[in-house]
Amino acid sequence: MTIPTATLSHLHRADGSATYSQGGYTVVAGVNGPVEVQRRDELPEEAAIEVNVRPAVGVGSPKERQLESIIHSTLRHVVLTRNHPRTLIQVTLQVVSTPEDESLLRSTHSLSILPSLLQASILALLSASIPLSATFNAALISLSPSGSLSLNPPSKALADASSVHVFAFSSHGDLVVSESSGCFSVSDWERAHDEARKVCIHGPETETDGAMEVEGEGAQTNLQSFVEKVVAERVEKERYWKDST
Amino acid sequence: MASAPSAISFPPATFAKLSPAPFVLAHLKPTSSSQSSTRPSGRSPSEFRSPTINTGSLTHASGSAVVRIGDTAVVCGVRGEILRASDIPHPYTTSGPGDDGSKEIEELGLLIPNLELSTGCSPAHLPGNAPSTLAQSLSQRLLSLLHISKLVDGRELRIEYQAPQTDDEVPDQPSEVVTKAYWALYIDLLFISLDGNPFDAAWAAIIAALRDVRLPNAWWDPDREAVLCSDRVAESKRLNLRGMPIASTFAVFSTANPQRRREEAEIWVLADPDGFEEEQCAETVTIVVAPKQGGKGGVLRIEKSGGGVVGREEMADLISQAEDRWSGWEQVLLQERQ
Repeated sequence: MTIPTATLSHLHRADGSATYSQGGYTVVAGVNGPVEVQRRDELPEEAAIEVNVRPAVGVGSPKERQLESIIHSTLRHVVLTRNHPRTLIQVTLQVVSTPEDESLLRSTHSLSILPSLLQASILALLSASIPLSATFNAALISLSPSGSLSLNPPSKALADASSVHVFAFSSHGDLVVSESSGCFSVSDWERAHDEARKVCIHGPETETDGAMEVEGEGAQTNLQSFVEKVVAERVEKERYWKDST
Repeated sequence: MASAPSAISFPPATFAKLSPAPFVLAHLKPTSSSQSSTRPSGRSPSEFRSPTINTGSLTHASGSAVVRIGDTAVVCGVRGEILRASDIPHPYTTSGPGDDGSKEIEELGLLIPNLELSTGCSPAHLPGNAPSTLAQSLSQRLLSLLHISKLVDGRELRIEYQAPQTDDEVPDQPSEVVTKAYWALYIDLLFISLDGNPFDAAWAAIIAALRDVRLPNAWWDPDREAVLCSDRVAESKRLNLRGMPIASTFAVFSTANPQRRREEAEIWVLADPDGFEEEQCAETVTIVVAPKQGGKGGVLRIEKSGGGVVGREEMADLISQAEDRWSGWEQVLLQERQ
């Protein structure tokens, strides 16, 4: 598994921003909001959310529209939209780089980028201090024809996989996104689900051990601890002037 | 019925317009423990609308189907067009006799689904508008499902040519079979009416239309250097589809909101939601099953987003509901073929 990296609040013109990279994908996310909304998009009782996904090369296609609609409905679930009625929260996700061997994947294959997009969008929302009911973390799992699971597999393994799964879990432990494609059985799906759940949320044992003991190679990075660490570091940096006095 | 409405009661239609979510809740929540919950349409939560199919109604298409589920009606037309191999900038090279042609279909883009919602099918989709996000994302989902399910055999779309033996050639060396052209299938879907659950209807229409496809017998004519088609119906051939994947969509109606404790929320999973229910449900689950595909697996696609209600246990239950739904569709689709 590749170690994810993230930077928070590095764009100065946006209300919130984040860069997230994992497994060769790098996504820059910018959040503006709550801002004024166009009349036709206005919702009387809640904030409208707009998600734009821009590919690394070229202009958006139906593939990006599909990703946008998945991210949009997920964000609608976690953002407390009723706190800002008649406003707009705009999330822009720009894919900066994709793995070099992405051409091995089928042209219609769109799941492999989804975890990075979801992760970048939640980090940017945190950076913009948008009120959320929960955060979420996403993981990519592939099942080889022989039935072995791999977490965040490289493109080569994805191209040969019999099924590919994307899961996102909220910090409450709920399954918020599940996108699976390929040929698989219920028990395959459940195995992939359990594996993804381990990565996406703290188990009871990781909480007692303290946050980050995963610096060593081969250790699994827990995504929830990772997000907490990134945010804590940023907060510490921003409070530096206050704490040092 | 005959009694005049009192000061605080509305006729159902007004109630539904004024506060749709409490209206759905009032239907679903049984008034006494002996009653089971019913949806505004009168269906039980796990009841699907029964589909009707009519195939072959378009005369100028290679295959066509009209599928109607409740008030959702979609027309699908499949048109075969010839793509000459010499016009392909990066020709596809087969990876040997074991190649089942599914990669070929993807690389050359031989299946082209397009979905049109801007027909005035519902008040939310104005006629003449550019394809909405919904229409684009549905087209993409259909395309990726066509590829995942390997429904169409790529070998059936090849138009091949084998040069005849000449005397001066070595007799025991048969001449090579060359793919001179391909059939490209344009799959156009037009929604006449949309009342929820567009994906299930669209996918069923594609299956029914592809089962109805008759491609004329086509061959390469070396003298004219062109592909010729026979106009005899008897020579035309049907496609042999692999399996019959069926999509089932569920929507989750929940009374949860950030102000309420999560345990107190009441939840119903509604199968095959109609347009009114869809607006009140944020979370949707689409499951595509094809039970008879080689014994292994059985599920081709799970798409779930928008909420956190359906988890590990609920999903297993929904998959078994989708499998039951599959046999219902199988009957309707097989009847139509005769």
